[in-house]
Amino acid sequence: MQFGIFTVGDVTPDPTTGRTPGEAERIKAMVTIALKAEEIGLDVFATGEHHNPPFVPSSPTTMLGYLAARTERLILSTSTTLITTNDPVKIAEDYAMLQHLADGRVDLMMGRGNTGPVYPWFGQDIRNGIPLAIENYALLRRLWDEEVVDWEGKFRTPLQGFTSTPRPLDGVPPFVWHGSIRSPEIAEQAAYYGDGFFHNNIFWPAEHTRRMVELYRRRFAHYGHGSPDQAIVGLGGQVFMRRNSQDAVREFRPYFDNAPVYGHGPSLEDFMTQTPLTVGSPQQVIDRTLGFREYVGDYQRQLFLMDHAGLPLKTVLEQLDLLGEEVVPVLRKEFAARRPAHVPDAPTHASRVAAASAGTNGGATAGPGR
Amino acid sequence: MTERTVAVVTAGLSQPSATRLLADRLAAATEAALRDRDVTPRTEVVELRGHAHELTDNLLTGFPAPPLRAAIDTVAGADGLIAVTPVFTASYSGLFKTFFDVLGKDTLVGAPVLIAATAGTARHSLVLDHALRPLFSYLRALVVPTGVFAAAEDWGAGGGATSRALGERIERAAGEFAPLVAAGRAGEPVDPFDNPTPFEDLLPGR
Repeated sequence: MQFGIFTVGDVTPDPTTGRTPGEAERIKAMVTIALKAEEIGLDVFATGEHHNPPFVPSSPTTMLGYLAARTERLILSTSTTLITTNDPVKIAEDYAMLQHLADGRVDLMMGRGNTGPVYPWFGQDIRNGIPLAIENYALLRRLWDEEVVDWEGKFRTPLQGFTSTPRPLDGVPPFVWHGSIRSPEIAEQAAYYGDGFFHNNIFWPAEHTRRMVELYRRRFAHYGHGSPDQAIVGLGGQVFMRRNSQDAVREFRPYFDNAPVYGHGPSLEDFMTQTPLTVGSPQQVIDRTLGFREYVGDYQRQLFLMDHAGLPLKTVLEQLDLLGEEVVPVLRKEFAARRPAHVPDAPTHASRVAAASAGTNGGATAGPGR
Repeated sequence: MTERTVAVVTAGLSQPSATRLLADRLAAATEAALRDRDVTPRTEVVELRGHAHELTDNLLTGFPAPPLRAAIDTVAGADGLIAVTPVFTASYSGLFKTFFDVLGKDTLVGAPVLIAATAGTARHSLVLDHALRPLFSYLRALVVPTGVFAAAEDWGAGGGATSRALGERIERAAGEFAPLVAAGRAGEPVDPFDNPTPFEDLLPGR
């Protein structure tokens, strides 16, 4: 099982001091956090993509390319790549390029983006969110899987005899996850292609996660990629830890109360009951996270949100120390002990290259007609 | 005997509130009219005051806390809805509107709805037709022709023509509402998780 962190890249005032980091400071902090992720033995760092303040990561492959040069093992990913408003041709090019620079340590997560005003800035309309995600991804797949592409669709200029360069590393494109909170169409899409499905899981009741993952697993089997429990599932999680859980609650409460997404709403205690948010001791985080498999089954990737709502960098790095030293080693062991042998690991570039040369589907790479 | 459930949503704030009193009279008249049709009535009252915090939280988080979820499920599962609000600043109260904002736009499609409102003065009586009726038309509910408005004078001390008139309007409204409730709601909503749109239909020509 893979463990990692995902960041939204928000620039939020620290509610306890009123101080807002500058963009340069926040961008460098994200880099520091990513490097720390490798140092503490995590497997994945994923960055969001946003095109409006107060967020800084508008150019994920620039950041991930820089991180590729500064890391050795970390898988570089996104959370999410906007499949609706980015040109699929540019996604094909950018992430293939990144794949070469990072020696294959790249995958990405497709998402639609829920910020209405962003769509028209890129010539699109949020009401077409699902059709854009479906059509753009179908084109992206062809650009990666086929050398020369003739293509015509509803949303983009047609292509005649187009070859996306560079070609994917070793002829194997990056593994793709599809992220969605409650659109069954996206679970269906992930299942159709035999791609991974990632549920953000945080900020929402577990019931959303359970239903989406259940649908994805059922349809994954329907499309012939394996049994439902062999589908590739990733989950988010949100935690704040101190050795003494009361200290964690006291320290995190002002960040919770003023957080951009849910702040000024429910109490921290209610939100912890109603969503997977865990504020407490490392042991509480371990117990809660192990509980996720009770409603989604054995899964392949767990990403934690650690650095939002204005938490200072120093605090985030302390959190990562606790995560790396006390939480993830136990989770690795416990999840592995519970997982049946026929449930695959998350695909990596190496496993996908091996599967391609063996002529098998590598557990979760082949789709119908591919 | 057939059983039918009527949800009563009331947005009164004081206790007891005139809004709740009107809701109870409408519910009682509806129960009687249903029994006249050999239908066993079941009435479930949702007092929005008790969900005020949860409604605000739902606006911010995008999901209802469990008690509000139960209230929403009550309304969604009922065969008809009696919706009663006090008039605040020339319209339904914000609390009342918030409930219908978070309810889900398809929840009341085809559902019989009886609208009612209370106010200190009869000068607000058109609120039924300029505010409540369009709200439920948007939600594609079946709003019965008679809405019931009760001003302070309608509760009239010691009876009299005004309070008798209120009783008659309640009877008339319940008489219009009950047959629709008795008929039951048509069709169950399609669950997109049980029956997802197949990918072939998401990407035609594939």
